[in-house]
Amino acid sequence: MERHFIKTLDDLKMTLLNMAALTQRAIEKATQAYLNRDEGLAQAVIEGDREVNNLELKVDQIALKLLALEQPMARDLRFILGTTKISNELERIADQAVNIAERTLFLCQHPPLDHIPAMDRLIEVVKSMLDTAITSFVEENTQKAIKLRQMDDIADKYTLEVLQVLIANMVQSTPATEKRIVNARRSVQTIIISRCLERAGDLATNIGEHVAFIVEAINIKHQKVDFDQS
Amino acid sequence: MENAPKLTARQLNFYYGKFKALEEISITINRNQVTALIGPSGCGKSTFLRCLNRMNDLIPGTRVEGDIRLDGEDIYDSNIDVVSLRRRVGMVFQKPNPFPKTIFENVAYGLRVNGIKDKKILKDRVEKALKQSALWDEVKNRINESALGLSGGQQQRLCIARALAVEPDVLLMDEPASALDPIATQKIEDLIHELKNNFTIIIVTHSMQQAARVSDITAFFYMGKLIETGDTETLFTRPALKQTEDYITGRFG
Repeated sequence: MERHFIKTLDDLKMTLLNMAALTQRAIEKATQAYLNRDEGLAQAVIEGDREVNNLELKVDQIALKLLALEQPMARDLRFILGTTKISNELERIADQAVNIAERTLFLCQHPPLDHIPAMDRLIEVVKSMLDTAITSFVEENTQKAIKLRQMDDIADKYTLEVLQVLIANMVQSTPATEKRIVNARRSVQTIIISRCLERAGDLATNIGEHVAFIVEAINIKHQKVDFDQS
Repeated sequence: MENAPKLTARQLNFYYGKFKALEEISITINRNQVTALIGPSGCGKSTFLRCLNRMNDLIPGTRVEGDIRLDGEDIYDSNIDVVSLRRRVGMVFQKPNPFPKTIFENVAYGLRVNGIKDKKILKDRVEKALKQSALWDEVKNRINESALGLSGGQQQRLCIARALAVEPDVLLMDEPASALDPIATQKIEDLIHELKNNFTIIIVTHSMQQAARVSDITAFFYMGKLIETGDTETLFTRPALKQTEDYITGRFG
């Protein structure tokens, strides 16, 4: 007979994975909406956020119940604590997707800016980071979790590149006042999008840190980790 | 001496007839700390506890190998006076077992056995022990009434007072709260926290939560072997061995 406790732990894990899948989809859709200037898709991201929020509440509820009723120990205790932290990071990543979608709705009202290759790369890195973070949790793979820190450095690099391109664009843009203002607005909104992506990458890195805590009982937060381990 | 271990067991084997109940147990018990012994039924934790004041000597057909030292002195040495040893290493059992006497006489019992007759000394020592066991305020006005009129939790604290009255160094507790309700249990646990300032405490408990709440060091026994010993917080959050992890997370067998 399967223990009730184990069944509830599985329930907790499945709820978190469901939340992770929705969050991943939100980032995917938000970046697609930005790249394709798709207002409908951006709107769908904004509307879909409620579901992620509800799942975060459900994770908290199951975790609280397990802590109060089962007095978990060792790995189980770390898993429950880690899960609540990961769900918090996922909820904030989904909020970044909503923010990207809202900027996209603004950008769709105006002619597009020139293509920014660093933004494409930033989107790919951040999506890949989120995928790595979720996989590290599913596979309980600390090496993948640690690898996220390297990926985060790359995401930071592309964010800076986007910022540099757009500042240059604002400085060099047409002298006609009205056009210049519109250009500045589009650029600022696009910079915010890049910031949202960079933030999502940071949060994915945090997920990796929580996975390391669950699996290895080590706290790698605020510490330099030797990448040669991977 | 302050930093020297209070008790050490080295390669201790214990037999009930041919059955080897303890195998190569080596552990160091520090003074003024609470050490919890945990493990499934029949793992040897109570047997080990009873070795520490030679209570097992009372069971026919038992045999001990290896050594146990109290303040560096071999307690199984032939020169050791067992009565004196049990005065230094007191014991509290699972079920409160007050004598059918007054509260005062229950606590004074060990003192009288040890030859103390002076009424003033007896009175002072009884009061001190009842204060140490956090029972004084509840019984000071009925000290000459029968101990059997106390509640289960009070009876257990009376038994602790009885053990403390002879001023031991070490207190062995064999599931001291397992027969008590949650409030009485909490009082015993709070008391253990207080008592460790003056005594070295070793507690056997089936409740892992209790071990986690009251002890500084936890030792996990399984099938007569000491599997893992460690700082309680570490043992319950990140045990070194899978066997310990499986036991404390309920995934045994």
